[in-house]
Amino acid sequence: MLSKISYALRETAAGFRRNVTLTAAAIITSAVSLLLVGTTFLIQRAFDNLLTRWKGDVELIVYVRSDATLEQVQLIEGALKSQPSIIDVDRLRYLNQAESYAEAERLFAGDPGTLRLLTPENIPSQFKVVPIAEDSALVRELGEQFRQLAGVKEVAYAQDVFDVVSRVSQFIRVATTAMSIILLVVAVGLIWNTIRTAMFARRREIEVMKLVGATNWFIRIPFMLEGLVQGLVGGVLSCLGLWGLNTAWTNAVTDFNDTELAALVVTDGYASWVMVLLLGIGALAGAVGSGIAASRFLDV
Amino acid sequence: MIRLETVTKSYSSDVIAVRDASFEIAKGEFVFLVGPSGSGKSTLLRLMNRQEQPERGTVWVAGKDINDMPESKVPYLRRTIGNIFQDYKLLPNKTVFENVAFALEVIGRPRHVIRQQVPAVLELVGLADKEDRFPHQLSGGEQQRVSIARAFVNRPLILLADEPTGNLDPGTGEGIMRLLDRINSTGTTVVMATHDTRVVNMMRRRVVQLDRGVIVRDQERGVYD
Repeated sequence: MLSKISYALRETAAGFRRNVTLTAAAIITSAVSLLLVGTTFLIQRAFDNLLTRWKGDVELIVYVRSDATLEQVQLIEGALKSQPSIIDVDRLRYLNQAESYAEAERLFAGDPGTLRLLTPENIPSQFKVVPIAEDSALVRELGEQFRQLAGVKEVAYAQDVFDVVSRVSQFIRVATTAMSIILLVVAVGLIWNTIRTAMFARRREIEVMKLVGATNWFIRIPFMLEGLVQGLVGGVLSCLGLWGLNTAWTNAVTDFNDTELAALVVTDGYASWVMVLLLGIGALAGAVGSGIAASRFLDV
Repeated sequence: MIRLETVTKSYSSDVIAVRDASFEIAKGEFVFLVGPSGSGKSTLLRLMNRQEQPERGTVWVAGKDINDMPESKVPYLRRTIGNIFQDYKLLPNKTVFENVAFALEVIGRPRHVIRQQVPAVLELVGLADKEDRFPHQLSGGEQQRVSIARAFVNRPLILLADEPTGNLDPGTGEGIMRLLDRINSTGTTVVMATHDTRVVNMMRRRVVQLDRGVIVRDQERGVYD
């Protein structure tokens, strides 16, 4: 067993030395394609974050001044509940300052600058409103009325954000997904070709191996391992790239403090998950590509 | 040890390599397959280690129908069969020792077995002092001895030799034949395809003669006509 493992590792290492240029090409391609896959995931996540506060069909948010009195809050709530033909009273939700702060912590996770300005004391509390009325003009009209009420800091409409965000995110999603699939196929193809070339270069050896009774798996495994390592190295490079991109983006977004864009960031936890995923995809694509090649060309 | 029953093999519809061949080779026998080029000698050898599958008929090796065998069992069949070729099929970037060790390494034999068996078999073929040489530093006869050592190192039941003296001068060829004879005397069955009249006549063993894929003669202690 030990001698088999050491044989497989030696042959894998020898494979890299024999074929440096092709190996490098395969690794770089898989790195770039995996980077795109990862970027797609992060962009999706960032848009999701941006839209967190509009979750559950919330289309209108009434922000209440942090210095509003209890009476003012109750007045606003009463006014909202008095419009059952326009808003869904049962799904009206009030986030007090503590809850609003918890949400902001998530929203501005990548933007400590903004977050530092907020405290559970100075943050506005908010009413999240789900309208019943189909007519968005009606909802907007109601919103304008509330803007006049005492204690209301601001009224925000989902529609404004949605229109832009969903169009942009749709476009980016389709474009990056398509590109990453194409590049992934190219990467698998390149790994496949590297392995085919490696096997062709060693066809005499493989012929002898088959004649003296080496099993097909014994012959195949060093090649598959070579492909797997190519995919995995590509994965590691893509993770480094993704980390760099995410850090740069998060820093850049800090400049848009007061705009919606400040929420367009991804927290570290999710990025790490994506990186693990990239390593997995890379290893799998490499092993599959080289495995297919190794099986196809075992009859040399 | 080896039995063929009405075996037919063709490479395309009009090229029939072997037609209705039936014969049996007992354990420990030494058999020559003779005939001109293209008469089907090599195909018969390739049928015996399942490099080829027949269209019709059955090939039995060591009591097993090898055409009925699943693909996954074929490597284990091949471990009981040694192969020797006219062009040696040595790996040029490996030394004599490594070439022979390779045959044990790829079937997963542990290193201490390799260290013990490779020198022993190199001693047997008379190359004990050349284990660090590369194939291109050896004469043709020596290279063939390395290939015999590689075929025999795992002590196979059967040795299949395809024109092993074809590239060698008569004196060197004789040496190779003496070596094969010695291996045969240890109980290994040897099947050798050849059109080398001299070695067949010198050895006086069983001769199976082929002509355009058909067995036309099967003679104990025969000569090459």
